Amino acid sequence: MTLLELVDVTASYGPVQVIDGVSLSVPEGGSVGILGANGAGKTTTLRAISGTVRTGGRITFEGRDIRGLRPDQVAALGIAHVPEGRGTLGQLSVRENLMVGAYLRKGRKAIADDVDYCLELFPQLRDRVGSRAAALSGGEQQMLAVGRAFMAKPKLLLLDEASLGLAPSTAKTVYDAIRRLRRESGIAMLVVEQNANLAFSLVDTATVLETGRNVLTGTSAELKGMDEIRRAYLGG
Amino acid sequence: MGTFIQLVVDGLSTGSIYAALALAIVLVNQATGLINFAQGGMAVLSAYIAYAFLGLGVPLPLAILVAVVASFLLGALAERFLVRRFERGDPDTAVVVTIGLLTLVTGISALLWGYNNLGFPSLFPLTSVEILGAVVSVRSLATTVTIVLIMVVLQLLFLRTKLGLALRAVADNPGSAAFSGLPVGRLLMVGWGLAATLGAIAGVLVAPQLTLTPGMLDTALVYALAAVILGGLSSPIGCVVAASAIGVLENLVAVYVPLIGHDLKIAVPFVLIFVILILRPQGLFGRKVVVRV
Amino acid sequence: MGTVSSALGRRSVRIALAVLAAVVLLAAPLLLPAFANQTLVRIGVYAVAVLGLNIVMGYTGQVNLGQIFFVGLGAYVTAYGVNQGWNIVVVFIAACVSAGVVGLLVALAAARLGGLAIAMVTIALPIVGVPLAKRLDEFTGGSQGISARFSDAPEWSGLYNDQWQFYIVLVVTAAAFLLARSLVRGKYGRAFAVVKENEAVAASMGISPYRTKVLAFTIASIFGGASGFLYLAAVQYTSPETLSFGHSISLLAAMVIGGAGSIAGSLLGGAYYIFVPQITNAIDPNLTTLSQGAILLAVLFLLPGGLVSLPRALRRLGRRRSGRPTSGNPPKTAPAPHPVPEAALEGPDNKERQDRP
Repeated sequence: MTLLELVDVTASYGPVQVIDGVSLSVPEGGSVGILGANGAGKTTTLRAISGTVRTGGRITFEGRDIRGLRPDQVAALGIAHVPEGRGTLGQLSVRENLMVGAYLRKGRKAIADDVDYCLELFPQLRDRVGSRAAALSGGEQQMLAVGRAFMAKPKLLLLDEASLGLAPSTAKTVYDAIRRLRRESGIAMLVVEQNANLAFSLVDTATVLETGRNVLTGTSAELKGMDEIRRAYLGG
Repeated sequence: MGTFIQLVVDGLSTGSIYAALALAIVLVNQATGLINFAQGGMAVLSAYIAYAFLGLGVPLPLAILVAVVASFLLGALAERFLVRRFERGDPDTAVVVTIGLLTLVTGISALLWGYNNLGFPSLFPLTSVEILGAVVSVRSLATTVTIVLIMVVLQLLFLRTKLGLALRAVADNPGSAAFSGLPVGRLLMVGWGLAATLGAIAGVLVAPQLTLTPGMLDTALVYALAAVILGGLSSPIGCVVAASAIGVLENLVAVYVPLIGHDLKIAVPFVLIFVILILRPQGLFGRKVVVRV
Repeated sequence: MGTVSSALGRRSVRIALAVLAAVVLLAAPLLLPAFANQTLVRIGVYAVAVLGLNIVMGYTGQVNLGQIFFVGLGAYVTAYGVNQGWNIVVVFIAACVSAGVVGLLVALAAARLGGLAIAMVTIALPIVGVPLAKRLDEFTGGSQGISARFSDAPEWSGLYNDQWQFYIVLVVTAAAFLLARSLVRGKYGRAFAVVKENEAVAASMGISPYRTKVLAFTIASIFGGASGFLYLAAVQYTSPETLSFGHSISLLAAMVIGGAGSIAGSLLGGAYYIFVPQITNAIDPNLTTLSQGAILLAVLFLLPGGLVSLPRALRRLGRRRSGRPTSGNPPKTAPAPHPVPEAALEGPDNKERQDRP
């Protein structure tokens, strides 16, 4: 079953067209990567889905056209966006950030259980649960951003450059936790990641963008085997 | 000694009015990053609404309640239809929009009720009590207590409720908050509505003393802005402390420093601000009061 | 339309137009009735004040709610100087300098706060200014105000008072506009623009936002003082009412409605300041404030560039009507990303010029 499908999606900031015909689909429970150089339109593709950029083409989620919805309406359908550069609320505490993530949910008990699950998933956050998010380290903020997105109990997680600016070991910790999250919750994921090794550790299939269009789509194994992919993204 | 205590209590009473307006300004600033220069003008309109319902024979507490509810709606509508378009743009343009709103609202008050001073009944008895040898008006005390109670309620709302959490989240980062499904636009309307409500309460509490005119709170707004600068835009407690301090200080200075007197006491907080700024270039309390990049 | 604007662009035509304008302005007071002259004089008075406000607000992006205070200060200093028998040139200089010095002091403190705090501090100027003017009655005549007659036409000129005042105001206003025009087109103007666009970019280019803001504010104050001098030349009387809070708001409205960041818009602003209250007062005095608020908001919504941008907006509307294809995308909430500041694009060029002390 296809969960999310993009057909020939375009997006522009004012007069500047940034993506120009991106198509991809994410199956239920699947995990799809978007690869590409800087400026290829990876982040904009995610923003097109979450409704934070002016968009053309067709975007359907669970068979429903979601193009043109506001970000909060998209979120209400079960799409959680972890934006580039950590999506935390700096002046709010760690616990409050997680509670904001659960804004659309009811049921105190279930929410409290999920907060506990987040803190178990990211043990570093447990000691800082009362501190302001702005006071956390970059890695901790990224963990909190993922945790906050999880708290919404989404069907689809949009993950943008979760390793950006993190030390390699921290990035690995974050991705290990995200993999565990995926295994245990079955949330589908659409992952933008500059570091292709990390991306391939998380996704089943991936598509490569170049100047706002798909140029290549395949499974992780296929893509990893290709010379040009290796040269461009895997440092080999 | 008696005079002194009386001055302090009266100062706290007027200070609490400034505090209410300052809190409304902080509330709007937290939610939208704007300074609403129309906050005082809107509060005056609220007081006029209460006045109008009094004229219809509605009892005072009910008239005030109606005005408070109407103010919530006015504030929310002002956000939605006037300010919304300018929130993400140039903050200076947005300031001019709120100045336009101030002029518009003052103009509406003036058109409907004219510029003549109108008497407004007090919610509290006009009797006095003796405290430590000072004769203190019940109205002053009750005004202070009311505002303090409202501040406590507001604080609880912000720290203990889901709505409060959502308002703070939107204030922190509206774009990011939307990703968690928070209806940012509606929450901003609620923020403006609450601020207008706060202003309305300040308006009806101070109207008996100042008598109603369209420009009744122009001066109070200036005091409130001074309190906001001194207390910090992100600190409701700081603003309340600053507003109370300003209220007490100006009262004391007016009486004990004849050079300044009652007419020039409004200069006191600003002279204070200037002196602090000249002595402490890094800003008040060692941090930038308004950060904008 | 195209041929007209290209003809306007030609240098010889521009000079001819300037000469024509000068001749018209010089001849006008001799031909117009006294009332028209007085109205034009007042427009000139406030155009100078709006022009100053435009320099600090329209060009440098610092909201100043206290400009009327400097107009009042200039007017009081002028009245005092005239009554003390000072030479009129000295009086003019004193009016400008005193406003400039006070403006400098205010700016030195206020600009430290940055952002909207300048607006929050300057709003206090008229609120403090009115009681201050009443208090200093030795100099100001208290609530009654003070009058000073120095702008009556001298015998030798053979002119009526209104004509003579017209020429005084014309000379000062023209000088102020030419000065402002070269200021905003020169290196300081570029610094103003960069600071308005993005203070961080300005700092990275070696332009101190703080010093630039103080400079713009001080210049605005000096223009305010000059406007105060002209006010006294035109009205021959001033009182605390001159610098009231309401007038300060009106001045700001006039600037925005005329056109923020536009020299010509300042003249339109001056005209708005004089004409619209005259019209609304004639209908219903209680309507004046309301209409001003409504007009201000309408301009902000429909014509953000002010009246001066009306021809351009109409042209654009005309083009759209004539069927240029528009984007087929439905409207959608899309917070626009921060545009690259134009100033940043022309960075290196500016930096070279600005680095000079």
